[in-house]
Amino acid sequence: MTATTTAGRRPLGPRIYGFLRSIPTWVLWILVVLWTIPTFGLLVNSLRTRDAQRTSGWWLAWQDGANGFDFPTLQNYEAVLGAEATGGLANGLLNSASIAIVATIIPIAIAAFAAYAFAWIDFRGREWLFIGTIALLAVPTQVSLIPLLQAYSSGVRMTIPIIEKTVTIIPDMGLAGTIPAVWLTHTGFALPFAIFLLHNYIAGLPKDLFESARIDGADHFKIFWKLVVPLSIPVLAAFAIFQFLWTWNDYLIALTMIGGNRVALPATVVVASLAGEFGLREHLLTAGAFVITVVPLVVFFALQRFFVRGITAGSVKG
Amino acid sequence: MKKRWHWLIAMLAVMSLVAAACATDEGVSTTTAAETTETTAAETTETTAAETTETTAAEMDLSGTTVTVFGSESSDEEAGAMQDALDVFAEANGMTIVFTGARDFSDQINAQAAGGNPPDIAIIPQPGKVADFAREGFILPLPDDVLATLEENWDSAWVAFGNVDGVQYGVNNKSDIKSLVWYSPSAFADNGYTIPESWDALKALSAQMVADGNIPWCIGIESGGATGWPFTDWIEDLTLRFEGADYYDQWVAHDIPFSDPAMVAIWEEVLAEWNAPGNVFAIDGSIAATAFGANGQPLADGTCMMHRQASFFSAFLPEGTPTGPDGISVFYFPAGPNGEKPVLGGGTLATAFRDAPEVWAVMQYYASAEYANERQKAQQIRKDGELSGFLSANQNQDLSNYLPLEQEMISIMLDAEVLRFDGSDLMPAAVGAGTFWTEGTSAVNGDKSVADAVAAIDASWP
Amino acid sequence: MSRVAATILGIVVAIGLSAIVFIGINKLFDLAEKRFAIFNAAIGGAASLVIFGLLWGNRLIVSPLLVTLIAAVVGVAVGLGLGLVRHRWARLGIGLAGGLTLGLLAGSALRSVVWPSIEPLAALLGLAAGAAVAAISWQVARRETALVPLLSFWLATGWLFGGWLAADFDGSKAEVLLASAIFGLLAGIWVGTVPYPSGETRGGIAAGSRKYIFLAPALLFITATLVVPLARTIWLGFLSGTPRNLAWTGLTNYRDIFTDPGILDLSEWTLIFSSRLFWAAVILAVIAIGLGVWLGRSGGSGLGTGFSLNAGTAMLIGSAVVLFGFAVFSFIRGTIPNNLWWIFAVTIFSMATGLAIAVLADRAKGENVAKSLIFLPMAISFVGASIIWRFMYVARPPQNDQTGVINTLWVQIGVWSQSETASATISAILGLIVVGLGYLAWRGWQAGNNAVLSGSVVLAIPLVWIMYRFLGPGIGGVAPSPVTGEPIADPILFLTQSPWNNWWMMVVFIWIQTGFAMIIFSAAIKSVPEDLLEAARIDGATESQTFWRITVPQIGPTIGVVATTLIVTVLKVFDIPKVMTNGNFDTQVLANEMWQRAFTELNFGLGSALAVVIFLGVLPIIFLNIRRMQRERLG
Repeated sequence: MTATTTAGRRPLGPRIYGFLRSIPTWVLWILVVLWTIPTFGLLVNSLRTRDAQRTSGWWLAWQDGANGFDFPTLQNYEAVLGAEATGGLANGLLNSASIAIVATIIPIAIAAFAAYAFAWIDFRGREWLFIGTIALLAVPTQVSLIPLLQAYSSGVRMTIPIIEKTVTIIPDMGLAGTIPAVWLTHTGFALPFAIFLLHNYIAGLPKDLFESARIDGADHFKIFWKLVVPLSIPVLAAFAIFQFLWTWNDYLIALTMIGGNRVALPATVVVASLAGEFGLREHLLTAGAFVITVVPLVVFFALQRFFVRGITAGSVKG
Repeated sequence: MKKRWHWLIAMLAVMSLVAAACATDEGVSTTTAAETTETTAAETTETTAAETTETTAAEMDLSGTTVTVFGSESSDEEAGAMQDALDVFAEANGMTIVFTGARDFSDQINAQAAGGNPPDIAIIPQPGKVADFAREGFILPLPDDVLATLEENWDSAWVAFGNVDGVQYGVNNKSDIKSLVWYSPSAFADNGYTIPESWDALKALSAQMVADGNIPWCIGIESGGATGWPFTDWIEDLTLRFEGADYYDQWVAHDIPFSDPAMVAIWEEVLAEWNAPGNVFAIDGSIAATAFGANGQPLADGTCMMHRQASFFSAFLPEGTPTGPDGISVFYFPAGPNGEKPVLGGGTLATAFRDAPEVWAVMQYYASAEYANERQKAQQIRKDGELSGFLSANQNQDLSNYLPLEQEMISIMLDAEVLRFDGSDLMPAAVGAGTFWTEGTSAVNGDKSVADAVAAIDASWP
Repeated sequence: MSRVAATILGIVVAIGLSAIVFIGINKLFDLAEKRFAIFNAAIGGAASLVIFGLLWGNRLIVSPLLVTLIAAVVGVAVGLGLGLVRHRWARLGIGLAGGLTLGLLAGSALRSVVWPSIEPLAALLGLAAGAAVAAISWQVARRETALVPLLSFWLATGWLFGGWLAADFDGSKAEVLLASAIFGLLAGIWVGTVPYPSGETRGGIAAGSRKYIFLAPALLFITATLVVPLARTIWLGFLSGTPRNLAWTGLTNYRDIFTDPGILDLSEWTLIFSSRLFWAAVILAVIAIGLGVWLGRSGGSGLGTGFSLNAGTAMLIGSAVVLFGFAVFSFIRGTIPNNLWWIFAVTIFSMATGLAIAVLADRAKGENVAKSLIFLPMAISFVGASIIWRFMYVARPPQNDQTGVINTLWVQIGVWSQSETASATISAILGLIVVGLGYLAWRGWQAGNNAVLSGSVVLAIPLVWIMYRFLGPGIGGVAPSPVTGEPIADPILFLTQSPWNNWWMMVVFIWIQTGFAMIIFSAAIKSVPEDLLEAARIDGATESQTFWRITVPQIGPTIGVVATTLIVTVLKVFDIPKVMTNGNFDTQVLANEMWQRAFTELNFGLGSALAVVIFLGVLPIIFLNIRRMQRERLG
């Protein structure tokens, strides 16, 4: 610790020593570079033609011109942005935005109410209800897809055992194939993790805050609105990032719930379908992946400052 | 008493059950075949099936109706051309037809059918799935007039792919031919090679090429999670040639196991050709490392002389590669020892999920020559002068819409004495999209002996 | 442009409507204490709306809009009346009149499909059952509740079941009117005989309703999207057949799962002990223990056990554990071992790398840039990730240039390894680095800094090994051709060569999940109180000692949270195997197996049983975590 602080011209030994002591910093940047190489390669390849991608590695892109290929070329981006199959990319991006915004805000609100109730309203069976809710994190959500699709497309019916009469609990509302079906599904699937995360945080808020508020005559709704929400902005933003990333990048749930209604399909489905059969046009995925990554990145950078503080209080004070 | 309104909730719950009691008669009587209520599904299907025979699509006024079509064609060229072809019919009838293509179509159509949200028409690439859906009551048998149009335009061998237990459910849409060898006629001419007429002649030709210092074959079977499928195509093609169609059918149904000596002999025949020194561009056992799509480049630049692959392979040639007599062309993968000319084919089948005149009208359009013509024209425009990649075995279509090379492919299809669908598409997915590929790859790699590989496939048959 | 407008409108409506409903209900229940009449009117109207809305939704009433509106108005009137009037008989009158009106309204509007042909016996039975339930609950409540409302409520319910639902629906108009009128009257008696609530009761309604209002939306969604489908899945797990022809087969699916050799194959486990990985793990463990004990004794900076845990020894132990795990999982094959391997490797590597980056980036220059770049993969969809890693892993035949990043490097290393001069040069460079590390170790030893000493030793080990490979047996992707014997490129088939293809897919997942772990760890590290760290430094603790003694214990709970989340995510991993190999080549995992059975093959029974296996596998981990959290909150 002391060797590096000596002022003036240092002899060779300490200089080597200081150099080697900085290994941890290199390790950081080596890791960062390693983590970025794959994405960087994608970026370079997205600017190359199909045959160029096939015949040489992206680090040789600078030779493309000599090999008779265009580089850099925007033709992949043009093809992606001009895609018309599966509803087109502009339409897909709109649908993605619609899905991700609503499926981020509504679960956060619902989970915040529930987390508050689990943390600060006393009632019988609270602990077990909470454990039961969190245990549902373990459900592989794919199993819910077909029953939910059935419910959206033809309602929910149940046969009462003894009298053998079929009862319609939820009528057929024609939700299948629409974006609201995706909202509802994402909302339900997000709740266990959202409640888990928010509850950690909200339960860790100082108790005296609530007591003094109650003495002032505030009811639960007021406490929640005036006290809990402002104090929880960090964790709400943190969850918002995760949920936005997941819903924006989701492919399976949206495709299953929307199916053959192509005007409602999100951008991930549009881009995936560009590849075509046998991966014929797979080179277009390079550009497509970048186009759909832009939005979540913007969201990440916008919410990042909340994010860091957010998770902290929740997970550390547990 | 304090909790008065708890009772209210209880009351509402009870009443909601009652309110809903026996809504079934009203609720379930939609005519969709894929009605989800498990208890009533069977009856519903039967009634709709009976009713369908009476509808005569041609005489109906279709204006204002909408039909949804769902399929695996998803790229701009394929899905776009499909939509273009459908638009021609839609505009003529004042209706709307919406085609949606999805990359994971095979899994998705299962989810949509089971989830009660099927499209009106699905374009299914596997006859096995058509059979499953038919037996499950998801799809509807064709009414007489659609069937008549289909039989008028398509050869019975093709029509049979959409037939389940004697009832016709599928309308042929697209036809692929797999028994093709891609080659460069000019390279053949320069070296004095002639197109072989038999498997033995083909083997002699490749030996001749090696002797001349040429590389006969481009072979690569890497395809990500589907690695190995090009190998299964070779096996299927040779099985048809060596053992005939009956054997092939029994083998596909697993009445004859993979470990049957004749089958093992075919595997060894293929591997002997592939592993012969200098025979394959992918040298020294790197066939499994070579992407199947990467064979286009060496074939185009003349590094290798031949590549056996299905009709869609043209899309994998480097951009701007000329096709036809002056570029890359195809010849028929030659006949087997008995001289019979079988063809290994593939394709997609349109199936209907909803019983409505407009749906049957579209199905009838799919069976017609107009569809084949419009689709071919549209796809060729979108491919900008290259091979369209869409073939139809429709007998009454206008062949002049096709480029010469694709006309040749169609004539091979139409001349076929025996036609069989790609066997791995007919086998259970655990084999046809699983062990057949993976064990085949092991055998190609030399990781396993043929005997071990076929035994493993047999063991995995569900 | 209209699409944009419609989308924005949809978003606004969805969010606005949810907010209005939630805030509205909260405001409504605020009224219960001070403005009971309005509250009661709203409840009455809502109850009518729900009931008639359900009838409407089930297509059971004619001219539904009009009927439902009338019913809502009547409901509001009854609610308002009961909310204003306190006189006993007047209340009963309002209740009876309202009940009868609504009953007759329903009776005249109902479609003939639900006209019951009343069977006296069943009706009597239903009423008797209702009376019995009422009597029992009255006894349970120690006769402190009013009997008449209780009795009329249960009689109404009994009538509904016995008189109506149990009947055949082929009755006459008169019968349906009678049936609904009786029900309306009984329900009317119920609402009419409930006494006017006292101020205390009304306050109770206002306050006590909050937990339900706050929890209801979440529980509703969770029940509909997770609980009910889970129950259905458990049920389907006992059935077999095609979707519409399922039959009870008991535990057959579970037997099939656990007897399938593809799920668990132990036949090669003895080979573990002859694998090089295993012995490398043993050697590393021995070095780690030796080094740790020696340093602990000489430096006196152990954890009180004479063992010095620092960056170096921790890395050695970690490497030994990882190598041992890989040795085990590369010989015990099958879907379940694959899943365990995933859990083991992804959790360890994501957490270790995430933690390392979080620690190293803390207060480093360009911290935000580094963290953003590490987080980037989380923002990339699986479609993008699959194509990205194609460019990393792709292999081409020997005579072509490699286009995959890793194979290019690997083949290049092989080429160098074949060349005498290149081998010598590389070995010399590596040797210099090793000498430098040796010097560093010596300085560290002199300064009594165990972290520097052991860290240098640990870094030197792989370098020495690489030197040995270069000078001795060779390294890299060049091998003699099996045909000609000439050295040719020998690229790695990352996705088809079992068992290591599993690991290459895990790398993709680690690449993604490290960002998640890093962000959470980074936040936790920043929350460690600065004064604690200062105090430790003043006491003369080295950076590494501060880290192990202060930071790690402080972020302990976070480690638990991240580990749990990762394990849950990994056990449910599905996208990567599906896209990259689709489970072929011995890379199957449970979630993809489930998908293939349930979706690709429509074998709901087996797919559901697999889902249950996954669920039961994750459950204990979650349960332990929640218990731990609860204990911490209490303690």
